[in-house]
Amino acid sequence: MLLTIENLQAEIDEKQILKGLNLDIKPGEIHAIMGPNGAGKSTLASVLAGKDAYEVTAGSVMFDGQDLLELDPEERARKGLFLAFQYPVEIPGVSNKLFMQTAVNAVREEQGLLALDMFDFDEYAKDKIELLEMRPDLLERSVNVGFSGGEKKRNDIFQMALLQPKLCILDETDSGLDIDALRLVANGINALRSESRSFIVVTHYQRLLDYIKPDFVHVLYDGKIIKSGGFELVHELEEHGYDEIIQQSK
Amino acid sequence: MLKKNTRKISPMAKAAVSHYIEASEQLNKESAQEEVVACRTRAQALLLTQAFPTLRDEAWQYTKLVQFVQNRFEVAHLTPQQHGLTIREVQSFLPPYQAIKLIFVDGVLDKALSDDCTALPKGLSIEFTREAVQSSSEVEVWLEQEDLVNSEPFGVLNNALLAEGFGLKVAENMAIETPVFVLNIQTKLNQISVLSNRVMVGKNAELTLVEHFVTLLNEAEQEGVEACTNVVTVMDIAESARVRQVVLQQQSDLGYYFHNQFIFQSEQSDFNSFYGGLGSQLSRHQNHLFMNGERIENSQNSACLAHQKQLVDSRTNTQHTQEWGASRQLHKFVLADSAVGVFDGMIGVARAAQKTDGQMDNKNLLLSNTAKMNSKPQLEIYADDVKCSHGCATGQINQDQIFYLQARGISKPKATEMITKAFLMESVETIDRKDIQQWVAQEFSEALLSGAYFKTDTATE
Repeated sequence: MLLTIENLQAEIDEKQILKGLNLDIKPGEIHAIMGPNGAGKSTLASVLAGKDAYEVTAGSVMFDGQDLLELDPEERARKGLFLAFQYPVEIPGVSNKLFMQTAVNAVREEQGLLALDMFDFDEYAKDKIELLEMRPDLLERSVNVGFSGGEKKRNDIFQMALLQPKLCILDETDSGLDIDALRLVANGINALRSESRSFIVVTHYQRLLDYIKPDFVHVLYDGKIIKSGGFELVHELEEHGYDEIIQQSK
Repeated sequence: MLKKNTRKISPMAKAAVSHYIEASEQLNKESAQEEVVACRTRAQALLLTQAFPTLRDEAWQYTKLVQFVQNRFEVAHLTPQQHGLTIREVQSFLPPYQAIKLIFVDGVLDKALSDDCTALPKGLSIEFTREAVQSSSEVEVWLEQEDLVNSEPFGVLNNALLAEGFGLKVAENMAIETPVFVLNIQTKLNQISVLSNRVMVGKNAELTLVEHFVTLLNEAEQEGVEACTNVVTVMDIAESARVRQVVLQQQSDLGYYFHNQFIFQSEQSDFNSFYGGLGSQLSRHQNHLFMNGERIENSQNSACLAHQKQLVDSRTNTQHTQEWGASRQLHKFVLADSAVGVFDGMIGVARAAQKTDGQMDNKNLLLSNTAKMNSKPQLEIYADDVKCSHGCATGQINQDQIFYLQARGISKPKATEMITKAFLMESVETIDRKDIQQWVAQEFSEALLSGAYFKTDTATE
């Protein structure tokens, strides 16, 4: 098992959001998490990545054989957990390239590999830039500053391609993307699929899932997973909405 | 007048005043031209009535001089001593780019360490204050702005102890490509280095001046307070001339630094300056800029980085007196621990200075909950067709940015360092010569990488 979440409960500002969530993910699996607004989808993504505004009040999360909740956000990232942000952050003055070179080298250090210098990094990044059809100047510019919504999301997937994580958590990466940007992002994700790499795709919509065909679909409501199924569940949701499933679960 | 006479001077300040007057008197006994002796004597009289500013003086309300007054520094150039420094020992303070190097050790020019001043590029001449004071006819240059220099308390002290420093002169139409690099090293405790510098750049000429202030304590020095530097620079930039100035102050965190610059610009000239303040427990860098002509341009930028109990004071007074002047300013402070920052900026626009374009920004980053910033950007406008703005913003590092970097595997201290550096670099990047800009950026990077500025931040998490 790559990830085991048991009875996870978390709150922010003393308001409980996650109320006993269970989820098992094996290497190579793609899990989609859907659910109405306020169900706790983004909270789950943030708690897994280690954002300190959230407080875990009960439960456990084992990631690749270790207690994930004990680790700092950067340690989680170095051990192979990646969060693609719903709103990638702008960092004026820090070049995208320096940022990613620093990040890649932090992960390499963890793995006992030598750091990449500027030239090695350029070489390493080349095919990833092509994969995501990134404009070369986006690498020289400040992180996400002046990027369009689509460029920011693509930049996050580009970072994912560079860091080669074991578990990728995509937090509404498809929101705000036009069809072309969505296709590029989906291509990027599909190119990274492998037997050892797993995904958690948090989304509201079917569109992205049509591209990447998840193995499992979970419906999150009021801090718990109330229904799990295969890809067919996506179509059921599109047809009947969340209400029916919510009623059934009560 | 009444106010001046009734100024109360504490016994401590009186003792300090008589200490410096005595030093000034001693200088007067050495060989010096009559007018220099008179200038020092007038400064003594001012010192006697004014002494040093206290917190009751508005311009000094955040900049406490109690310690300075208490210390009574020995005047370094009164009894110059052998310092025994070799070029190898000062090497690390020298820049990686080519420059004409002048090296002052403990406030006294060291000719052996400095470059040969008889083989300068055509159009550049250097005279030293010591020689000018004793015998040169050029001495007028040092005395010309006596009253103006005396308008500042540390200008008075500088005039009272006038004897060291340099005078740079660039002839008309000459562009001096190689920067003049002046290194000021303090090697002893309990002393004050007093430098009186004059810069004259002729019509349509060009000069790049870099000044670096550092401390390299002699091993024999064990106890005492760290040294003080008092500099006055008077700069005259003639019509259509261009001057680029970079001052990097990296004295020991226990030192003192007072620098008053009086800059006169003539029409269509350009002055581009940067001040980097990293060192000293108390530092105050001050530009008094007079734009005496039409179509003058200038930029005055600074980046200050302080921690522990350092106080960094950076201020500008920019006077637009004629039409079509453009002034730009960006002042950035990063304060950690219990450091205190002071920014005071004034843009004055005279009635005749129509079409003025003035902009002044002060942005500050506080790395702890105990750091403090005092900022006072001001405009005083008497013309009616001008474009002037001033702004000030103080804040802490955005935690979303830190988390974003952490989520990519970058440690919190490293993330803080990257964001802080990026913040300071906006100002450093205004230095329009790449080699000098890189050198300054490197000095800031090294300071940030030392980790001294982020300790508290990570400890409290």
